[in-house]
Amino acid sequence: MVDFLQMVLSGIAVGSSYALMGLGMVLIYKASEVPNFVQGEMALLPIFIAFMLLSTYGVPYYIAFPATLIFALLLGCFLEFAILRRAKEPNVLGLIIITIGMEMMLLGFVSWKFGADQRAMPFPISAYDSIVIGDLFISTLDMLTLVVALVIMLILFLFFRFSKIGVAMKATQQNENAAALMGIKTKQIRMVTWGISSMVGSVAGLLIAPVLVEPYMMWDPMLKGFAGAVVGGMTSLPGAVFGAYIIGIVEHLFGGYVSIEFKSVVAFAIIVLVLCIKPSGLFARHYVKKV
Amino acid sequence: MKRNLLLVLAVMMVAVFGLCFNATAEEGVTDTEIHIGQWGPQTGPAAPWGAVARGTDAYFKMINADGGIHGRKIVHHYFDDGYNPAKTKAGVKQLQEEIGMFAWVSGVGTAPGLAVKDYLMDKKIPWIGPSAGSRHWIQPPNKYLFNTYPLYLGDAQLLVRYAVNTLGFKRIAIAYQNDDYGKQGLEGAQKQLAKSGLKLVSELPVNVADTDMKPHIMKFKKSKAEAILLFVGPGHVARLQGTAKAMQFAPQWMSTTTCGDHPLMMAITKGLYAGTISAAFGLMDPSAVGLGNKADFMKPTLPSMVKFKKDGYDKFAAKEERWGSTFCAGMGYVEPFVEALKRVGRDLTREKLVAEMEKIQNFHSSMGTVSFKPFDANDPLCRIGQQEVFLLRAEADGTSTILTDWFKTEFIPMDH
Repeated sequence: MVDFLQMVLSGIAVGSSYALMGLGMVLIYKASEVPNFVQGEMALLPIFIAFMLLSTYGVPYYIAFPATLIFALLLGCFLEFAILRRAKEPNVLGLIIITIGMEMMLLGFVSWKFGADQRAMPFPISAYDSIVIGDLFISTLDMLTLVVALVIMLILFLFFRFSKIGVAMKATQQNENAAALMGIKTKQIRMVTWGISSMVGSVAGLLIAPVLVEPYMMWDPMLKGFAGAVVGGMTSLPGAVFGAYIIGIVEHLFGGYVSIEFKSVVAFAIIVLVLCIKPSGLFARHYVKKV
Repeated sequence: MKRNLLLVLAVMMVAVFGLCFNATAEEGVTDTEIHIGQWGPQTGPAAPWGAVARGTDAYFKMINADGGIHGRKIVHHYFDDGYNPAKTKAGVKQLQEEIGMFAWVSGVGTAPGLAVKDYLMDKKIPWIGPSAGSRHWIQPPNKYLFNTYPLYLGDAQLLVRYAVNTLGFKRIAIAYQNDDYGKQGLEGAQKQLAKSGLKLVSELPVNVADTDMKPHIMKFKKSKAEAILLFVGPGHVARLQGTAKAMQFAPQWMSTTTCGDHPLMMAITKGLYAGTISAAFGLMDPSAVGLGNKADFMKPTLPSMVKFKKDGYDKFAAKEERWGSTFCAGMGYVEPFVEALKRVGRDLTREKLVAEMEKIQNFHSSMGTVSFKPFDANDPLCRIGQQEVFLLRAEADGTSTILTDWFKTEFIPMDH
């Protein structure tokens, strides 16, 4: 029983970083209807900026982390404004290809600028200390990630519910033409959505980085976050979070009781299963496009 | 008169063409240059190993700065294959068929190497010092392929022997990368333990893309392992040790030559690597340093390493290049090749290079003592080169304590 509980707890812990990545992907999918494959690298570049600020320039945490998140916000806005918006009458496939292209550009830039060596990022708390509850362990970093993920979910909920820009975002996501007719600057809203998504992903990245910083570090969390978002429904923020936790928990239970060797692929088996049974995901309403 | 003139012309033409032919007799060799090829990942998940090719490059530049080899400069062509065998094959074919390499050196990784092995061997192009301890390089042996990297099996043999005989452990487990590297370690550990009537208490595969090590540590903890062999890459070592610390599990960690860069490992594990025992096969001489004494990789003592740091690394490495064991290994793997080039002399051909490589006996390279034998299709050991490893313990200050002297490992053939 202790083993089972430990696996579930570990699954929730790892699911938190997947959830943050999933939230970022869903934000953009709702705004642009594109699965954003540059989500990981939109977090990667800010992570290396944070690493540079902390390690090379000795900037204190309380300045480096907010500065990194502002950079992430601007990076997301820039990518939407400078690249995605320039695509002429793009279809979904075209947009996907553009995000893959941006992913390669950012990855190449990071590899070129910062090198391929693995590094450990300074962080205010140890990545290796733990909280013990009876026979169960959770690392302090995992606990922090869990708390941060919950806080960000709450902030996003309040933001979309009560802020003017949040409501404008929801309106743009639901019906862009109607929103434009109501006076909402939909292009700016979409740009800001990319910025916020980049910032949310970067929070996940900053919480992953204390263990290891390397150019390919965001690939696996991005894929798992994507898997969580698909499972929960690409248009549902709570769905993405729930899906990410399902992925994390099932991965750990599968690794513990069935096969560690195939633990990593179980997330994608879940995607196939969910898409076969409920194509729109567990939490999203079935999407019917009027023609 | 006319006939004499024709005769003189004919003799002159033969002489001129003869000279030209001699000058371009061997592919990749001119009067002033020797063209050498190499691949290595400069991008992608295996990019940290790209330092091998950059180390080789600095070494060749150092040799050129010292006057080259018998009046010829080495022109080093290395390309980024991203550890992708398809790219390795395309790059090797392109360089070989468009420019023409005299020989290939090093080349990171088993899978990329396997992608081009048959191509190079079919064309009788020498390939020296693959940067991976795979049995595929010597079983079956190839006349033109010379291995200088001790097999991963050997690391496992010495690590298990030390854990059982010196540390007195009975419960040994292994985390192995799910590929040729990790599986060789698994096999070596199983066979060495069997000699003491023991079995691994837990053997867990790690996929290259895995980032979450909690399930692994839970299983290791449950197995009550006293020592865990780490046949994985540096990143996974950091993740495993970090997760174990968080789950309050503290076995004796034992890792391989691939994680032998102690200053790097200490940095990326934030100090958790201290106390880890790792195998090594060069860049220092345990006999010279002495058992129980500390060696500081950052302050080399081997004469070849001292020179390489001063005349190779300091002068030719990029400003941001780290003085690390992966970079230095780029020199070590090809030193026997350079020695053979020197021995061949001015009249350089591939066959003469192979003949001189086969004569190399007890050559003290930076990566241990290298010996080859005349080619024998039934003897894999004729192309193994180096079979000795030793053990080090990582210390908190980034230095390493010598735990054993050189240990000659046993070759275990692949089961077909």
